[in-house]
Amino acid sequence: MMDDSTMKIDYAPYDDATQTLRQIDKYTPSATRVPSAPLIERPLTLSERTGPTELVSKWNVGKLDLCRLAPDSPRALGQLIHVTGRVTDEDGAPVSSVVMEIWQANASGKYIHELDDHRAPLDPNFTGQGRLVTDEDGRYEVFTVKPGAYPVLYSGWWWRPPHIHFSILGTSWMNRFITQIFFPGEVLNEKDLLLNGVPSRDVRDRLIFKPTDTVMGDLSYIGYQRDFVLRGHRQTPELP
Amino acid sequence: MKQIVSPGCTTGPFFPVDFSDGSEDLSQRNGLAAKGQHIILTGHVLELGGKPARNMVVEIWQADASGIFRHPLDPRQQDCDPGFWCWGRARTDADGVYRFTTIIPGAYEDRAPHINVAILGIGLTRPLVTNIFFDARADVVFECVPAELRSRLLAKPEGDGVYRFDVILRGENETPFFVE
Repeated sequence: MMDDSTMKIDYAPYDDATQTLRQIDKYTPSATRVPSAPLIERPLTLSERTGPTELVSKWNVGKLDLCRLAPDSPRALGQLIHVTGRVTDEDGAPVSSVVMEIWQANASGKYIHELDDHRAPLDPNFTGQGRLVTDEDGRYEVFTVKPGAYPVLYSGWWWRPPHIHFSILGTSWMNRFITQIFFPGEVLNEKDLLLNGVPSRDVRDRLIFKPTDTVMGDLSYIGYQRDFVLRGHRQTPELP
Repeated sequence: MKQIVSPGCTTGPFFPVDFSDGSEDLSQRNGLAAKGQHIILTGHVLELGGKPARNMVVEIWQADASGIFRHPLDPRQQDCDPGFWCWGRARTDADGVYRFTTIIPGAYEDRAPHINVAILGIGLTRPLVTNIFFDARADVVFECVPAELRSRLLAKPEGDGVYRFDVILRGENETPFFVE
């Protein structure tokens, strides 16, 4: 919830030790696109401290199920999974009512995208993308299928391990957040340039889902969980 | 206890095209036309060697014509122009060109008219952020940029309401970017 104290939120610069490297060896696009000059420091004004909270009303968002086009339609091919988690700020307070965008490859490792040249089949029952809004406790959930791995054709060797993309349009311009989350125990994780573009094992673990429950019944699925911490720390008010 | 901020990562090449559709035009909302001077804001996103960066995502955030943001922190939020979206998103085409229909934002407090820009896409593990200005008047953020580089943050009027702002990610005439 927003209140007067929101103005006192501190957005310290990202700690590089906890983040993906800007330039990753062998990830060639970073060599031609990451600026060479140092980033410039600036004061944070109202312009940076505000952000597109209005998007919740702009987009038609509801419960998210990527595995079918409509509630009574056939299900997409692949292993059904239920992904859940919670979005908080650095103080552990829920980040509620923000838009989360999710996209991924289908079970064959094929994206619905004009630039995907991988010769794998599309799945007519898989939407591959969608939006949701975090609830009052910052929680999100989505039914989907486990994505397939796919080759990065220009590289000649690099196969991307299964992963799901997340984009969060937070409450301020300062906490725009985009990431990719991987699955535990995948052989391809060991050589992935992006997953290994983070400096420590501890940080890498934050890019990997935790397996949760396995559910059996009319709907049987495997659960995966990943919480997200967005930047933003409420400053302690100074004593008079 | 203070939590560790989650690591981000690149959007990669397959950010859904649908996610940009309909967000290039900020100038119409709820069936109303935005107040203020309507403009086309367009330009190239270029990588090293002046090569076009195709399929990049460009996001903008700006105040309305009166310098008001539709956000709870803005004390004038209630007066924000109902015909204006303060946020937009576009994707660069095969020539690296993006294009928004928007308005020139109003000034407020210590800020001159400006538009926040974020560039996302292949090669960028973190969004690159900067500001577009329309003239060189006093502004607390503009003045953080070394004087000889400030002209690179000015949108250039080309007539008929078109303003050009090229984003040079790396190389000659590189765009100044801010700590995100």
